[in-house]
Amino acid sequence: MRLSFYPGCSLEGMANDYARSIDAVFRNLGIDLVEIEDWSCCGATAAHSLSQTMSVLLPARNLAAAEKLGHDIVSPCANCFNRLRFSQNMIKKKVFDIPWPVTGDIRVHDMTRFLAEPARIKSIKERILRPLNGLRVVCYYGCQMVRPPKITGYTDYENPQTMDRIAATAGAQVIDWSYKATCCGASVGIARKEIGESLTRRILQKAQQAGAEAIVVSCPLCQSNLDMIQKDRSKRHTPVFYFTELLRLSFAEHVDPKWFKMHFTDPVPLLRAKGLLS
Amino acid sequence: MGSYLSNPVGKVIVVGGGIGGIQCALDLADTGFYVYLIEKSHTLGGTMARLDKTFPTNDCSTCMFSPKLVQVAGHANIEILPLSRILELNGGPGRFTARVEKQPRYIDEEKCITCGKCAEKCPKKIPDPFNGELGTRKAAFLTFPQAVPLKYALDAENCLYLTKGKCGVCEKICPAEAVEFDQKPEILQIDAGAVIISTGFELALTAQEGEFGYGRYRNVVTSLQYERMLSATGPYGGHLRRPSDEEVPRKVAWIQCVMSRDPARNRPFCSSVCCMHAAKQAVLTRSHEPDTETTIYFMDIRAHGKGFDDYIDRARFQHGVKYRRSMISQVYLNPENENLIIETFDHHLNRKKEEEYDLIVLSSGFKPSGDFIDLAKQLGLVVNSYGFLATEFDEPVATSRPGVFVCGGIEAPKDIPETVIQAGAAAAEASILLSAARNTEIVFDEIPDEKPIETTPRVGVLVCHCGTNIAGVVDIQKVLDYVKTLPHVIFATDFMFTCSTETQQTIVKLIKEQRLNRVVVAACSPRTHEPLFQDTLREAGLNPYLFELASIRDQCSWVHGNDPEKATEKSKELIRASVSRAVQLEPLYESSYRVVNKGLVIGGGVAGMTAALTIADQGFHVHLVEKSDQLGGFARNLKFTLEGNSPASLIRYLSERVTHHPKISVYLKSRLISHAGHLGAFNGTVEKQGESIKIQYGAVIAATGGQPYKPTEYLYAQDERILTQVEFAKRLMEDPSWTGRLKRIVMIQCVGSREPDFPYCSRVCCSAAVKNSIKLKEMNPGAQIVVLYRDVRTFGFKELYYLKTRQKGVLFFRYIPEDKPEVYDENGKLIVDFTDRSSHQNFRVEPDLVVLSSGIRPDDGAKQIARLLKLPTTDEGFFLEAHVKLKPVEFATSGVFLAGLAHSPRFIEETVTMAKSAGQQAMAPFINEEGVSQIPPSACMGCGICASECPAKAISLKHCTDDQVFAKIDALLE
Amino acid sequence: MQNIISDPDQARKHDSGKERKLIGDRGDYFLNRMEGETGANISACYQCERCTNSCPVSHFMDIKPHQVIHYVQLGWREELLKSSTIWICLSCEMCTTYCPNEVDVAEIINHLRNMAAHSSITPKEKSLAVFHQTFLEVLQKSGRVNEFRLMNAYYLKPDILHERIKNKALKEDLLLGITMLRKGRLKLFTPKSRAIKEIKRVYSQTRGEIV
Ligand code: SF4
Ligand code: SF4
Repeated sequence: MRLSFYPGCSLEGMANDYARSIDAVFRNLGIDLVEIEDWSCCGATAAHSLSQTMSVLLPARNLAAAEKLGHDIVSPCANCFNRLRFSQNMIKKKVFDIPWPVTGDIRVHDMTRFLAEPARIKSIKERILRPLNGLRVVCYYGCQMVRPPKITGYTDYENPQTMDRIAATAGAQVIDWSYKATCCGASVGIARKEIGESLTRRILQKAQQAGAEAIVVSCPLCQSNLDMIQKDRSKRHTPVFYFTELLRLSFAEHVDPKWFKMHFTDPVPLLRAKGLLS
Repeated sequence: MGSYLSNPVGKVIVVGGGIGGIQCALDLADTGFYVYLIEKSHTLGGTMARLDKTFPTNDCSTCMFSPKLVQVAGHANIEILPLSRILELNGGPGRFTARVEKQPRYIDEEKCITCGKCAEKCPKKIPDPFNGELGTRKAAFLTFPQAVPLKYALDAENCLYLTKGKCGVCEKICPAEAVEFDQKPEILQIDAGAVIISTGFELALTAQEGEFGYGRYRNVVTSLQYERMLSATGPYGGHLRRPSDEEVPRKVAWIQCVMSRDPARNRPFCSSVCCMHAAKQAVLTRSHEPDTETTIYFMDIRAHGKGFDDYIDRARFQHGVKYRRSMISQVYLNPENENLIIETFDHHLNRKKEEEYDLIVLSSGFKPSGDFIDLAKQLGLVVNSYGFLATEFDEPVATSRPGVFVCGGIEAPKDIPETVIQAGAAAAEASILLSAARNTEIVFDEIPDEKPIETTPRVGVLVCHCGTNIAGVVDIQKVLDYVKTLPHVIFATDFMFTCSTETQQTIVKLIKEQRLNRVVVAACSPRTHEPLFQDTLREAGLNPYLFELASIRDQCSWVHGNDPEKATEKSKELIRASVSRAVQLEPLYESSYRVVNKGLVIGGGVAGMTAALTIADQGFHVHLVEKSDQLGGFARNLKFTLEGNSPASLIRYLSERVTHHPKISVYLKSRLISHAGHLGAFNGTVEKQGESIKIQYGAVIAATGGQPYKPTEYLYAQDERILTQVEFAKRLMEDPSWTGRLKRIVMIQCVGSREPDFPYCSRVCCSAAVKNSIKLKEMNPGAQIVVLYRDVRTFGFKELYYLKTRQKGVLFFRYIPEDKPEVYDENGKLIVDFTDRSSHQNFRVEPDLVVLSSGIRPDDGAKQIARLLKLPTTDEGFFLEAHVKLKPVEFATSGVFLAGLAHSPRFIEETVTMAKSAGQQAMAPFINEEGVSQIPPSACMGCGICASECPAKAISLKHCTDDQVFAKIDALLE
Repeated sequence: MQNIISDPDQARKHDSGKERKLIGDRGDYFLNRMEGETGANISACYQCERCTNSCPVSHFMDIKPHQVIHYVQLGWREELLKSSTIWICLSCEMCTTYCPNEVDVAEIINHLRNMAAHSSITPKEKSLAVFHQTFLEVLQKSGRVNEFRLMNAYYLKPDILHERIKNKALKEDLLLGITMLRKGRLKLFTPKSRAIKEIKRVYSQTRGEIV
């Protein structure tokens, strides 16, 4: 199976570890990810905020490139996924002059939903070598992946299940909680740090209250926000994993603790305690 | 469809066994028709059977409903078909043939003795659907203790034998050999002249919707589940508990408008009843658990019925229910204690507020029951976009198929009294249609002959638990022990619900076995239940007047709820007094007399005319008395309705028919000046322009109507730029060029309504504002309209027009009564200043025109009629019906009825419905001219005490001889 | 008994001192334009406040989401474009998702933000406006956005550095940057997209254009 892969800017920088884990997981599952030829930035919140035209055109360029190949697109980043789908929606309305040939018909998946489809869950199950027994996690989806439902196609947007299903398949003990899809404040996180931090801190606190030992995410911004806020070492310490990192861990016979060196909140002690890092 | 009408079938099919269907069946069976009551579930009862108490009186729903269930179960002319549905309906008005499929019960109804052994031994437990899946029941079950028919059944989906072929224990244990695993569905063919659909509604919210965590969090429940949680027969035995840990919830919140007023979910209409439902539940919660805090999250309070605003005020100020005008989007869980968190934004602190609740109740809206769509298809009925059988304003119970009528919640979400009224109207339509076949299919009830009674009194005392209503306070065992020591008491026992159908059989048996000749029931109140028990006595061959009811609920357990010891003592006293009185009782015999089969209708408006026609169309004469010189009444003021209909053409049609009807005598410019007599034989005098005319009639309908309030506020009558809605609508239609020139207008709502002197809501004004706004926008799209309101009360499907109004760009701002808008003239410029409560800003508008939504008052003429007929009124001068819920068109005085604005403000279609219902009820005694039996009024001593104490019947007067009363008093003073 | 259904809290706070705003002087022009451009049915709003209650940052906003809708209905363009709200909004779409009237509140706010970006009005939340602007500048230079370059460019914007020093954020930011570098989370160089030209064209076409 072959898919167009739209990594997004973060995977080249801040979320390089996410990129590596995706690579390992898809390789193992035997799914070919073909990076979209010469992809460019989706414009993220900035284009959305300042110019509707750019927010349609920037993703459209990538959609056009993918349409040439014809495979479905899979996007690991919630924000990119949202922007691509948004752009498709606008392309179909045909109110924008788009300089590239594009129909908006190709399917754009968010990576969690793609992997949570029953057939994939089955093949994931077959590849588990190291079930994550005893690891108590909550899955955090954030806002861009599930909302607005009309764009994202999620019907269970209050209580999405994709990552929950995947993490459970990997053997983790997944805890239901109410704050799966609240916003982490990423879009104001740099310019109005205190606002962003107040939101992120709350999510962290709610996750801990729910009894989570770790948080599972699928978005580079969610990850870095939740991870970096835990600077204060004296407080309880809750590592934040990309869901593919957990999969990679459960697929692997040999695990190198270095895989987790980009984390601010070091997950190694927790994984050791659970006997998951031999 | 055909011309079967010359030779119709005198039978009617009623589909749906809730309160609507039951009422309709009774109304029809009492007016000479045979009724098939088809119910898809195991029992009659519908939604009402699941309610705990009802507002505004907080009367126990079961207690109110039980007598109806008993009546319907025992009625010789009502055939109940449970577990049945119509597969096919052929024919037309006058002669339909229905193919009905009856599902197996797996327990033979005839053989089952309701011993309950099967349920006791059944090993299969499932979450109880009747209790909203809280608590469990067995696969062999009885839906609820008052079920009709009161027979056990096997649940085919869960029974181990029926699903897996294992078990079969019930078959072995049943002493009556009633279990029949091999029962198959039956197909029946039924003939009937008319069909009435009353399939009701169910909650629109399902766990799959996931809204507010319903189905995800254990302590989020629906309003119906909460009813069950409060109920004595519910999963927690009437003690307030929450599902997760069965602890008493200390903070409970209600979220309103769940699945209502929600265009995003294609549920754009309002479910009409949830505001009052929530208020009632909060009040009950506070009385169950005074330390529990209750908060209701809402956007508009829709208390548009009679006395509703007053109830809300009492909830707020007397019971301390908190109201928060704020809509919630999500409910979060506190994982540590399964409490729930609601987040709101606090405007005054400019802060997000998290509030934690132990329990959240979702006031879910309603939808037609799941399989209704199939029924509608099979019957060829047209439904509206939301699946309801919505009707037209001039034919409020007619469906798209002639001969098929509708009533209750399937027409539109509505409350109990409205359902009862509509049921009466549907019965009226069927009754008119099938007039020619009246009394052709009915069977006559056989009443056993009375047995001579022994001279020494043998008193039996039956003490009722009334669920927990009495037993929760009074120590029943102590009372019984005491009662058994009283002189003449031969026998005493207790019952969970003495009024249930099953218990009646037991009582009959007891009377016979114990040779009782006096019966005392210690229970709720004689007001609602005396006739029921009297019937039971009759059945046992005992004279019905040898009965006494000791009111140990209304007069004791409800009053002394917090002092069980005192309540127990008082109960003993009350029963002792009743026993003493019972000993003195003598049999009374009813004699027949000829009924004057003519009606009198007072008021020639839409209500009066419709009521008159309902009676006259069934062949009986009507006197219609109107004080003005033309027919039409209040509706003559109205130019068009919200839905675009014309009241004028309705009035034209009605007055035409009334004027030319051979059975109607119209008296214009006339007044009723004297009135005497009793049910079936009244006589009165009509004064017509100085001339006195003596008339006779068997029943009266007071339809004296209403009149518009003339505002004294907001410069009305001082400045010609201030109009009322009625005047505005008139001008809109009559002067298009003026309409075209309007640039900006302001409408002010609740003028003269919901004020300290007139605390009721006039119900129609919000819709009037919406209606006139749409009209103006259609005629002059550039006109700007600003509506200043307190709560927008466009209930039911009228909400769609509110949406339309907003979409047309009409601006709505909310004001509060402490800070009303100010209207003044500044150098010739009209100015309106106000504060908006949503944006918290002060605004000014400079309109061309201010339109006041002034309320509706009872007509001045109502006072005279109230005096003459001795009719009770509310403080505001509206007539007071016999029972808010179940007798909305009757007065306590037999033979006197009411309809229309004289009852309370209402829409035309509601008036038409009510008038039909009143007409039908008034006409009932005329059917069987010679068969009406009644104690002659000469027996009345006119002592007057009884009139206030037992307002049931003239008969009751005879039942209050001085000896009897003194015996009771003596006993109390002993 | 009083017959008053109002929130007692609200009854207490009557801001009689506040100026009165005139309704109706601005007509429907702005409302119609907004409805036309966003396709959102703004006038359907019944002020239930679900949007404001669900918004995670309404307490940082000067005009609350439900008020935004009211303001648009009243034609108060300038007040809206000058508000902090349009910049604070996270586009998290809670409001839109939960609005019972399908008012696309988030899109309306975003559209106002777009409008403000192309107007002469000085944004109330300068740091946010400048951040988005910087992002696009970096984007058009390399087709992709390198976080390190983004942060550098942002800090070098007039006022931003100054502001960061003033509110003592600079030191923290620097420390964070160093840690990130050490952990390999900041890459100094990442590939560029070859499509810079095309993107530049899009960028220059849309800049200054009123969307
Ligand atoms: S949620 Fe929708 S209807 Fe409610 S106030 Fe906000 S925009 Fe208006
Ligand atoms: S999109 Fe903006 S206004 Fe809407 S809820 Fe999110 S932050 Fe608030």
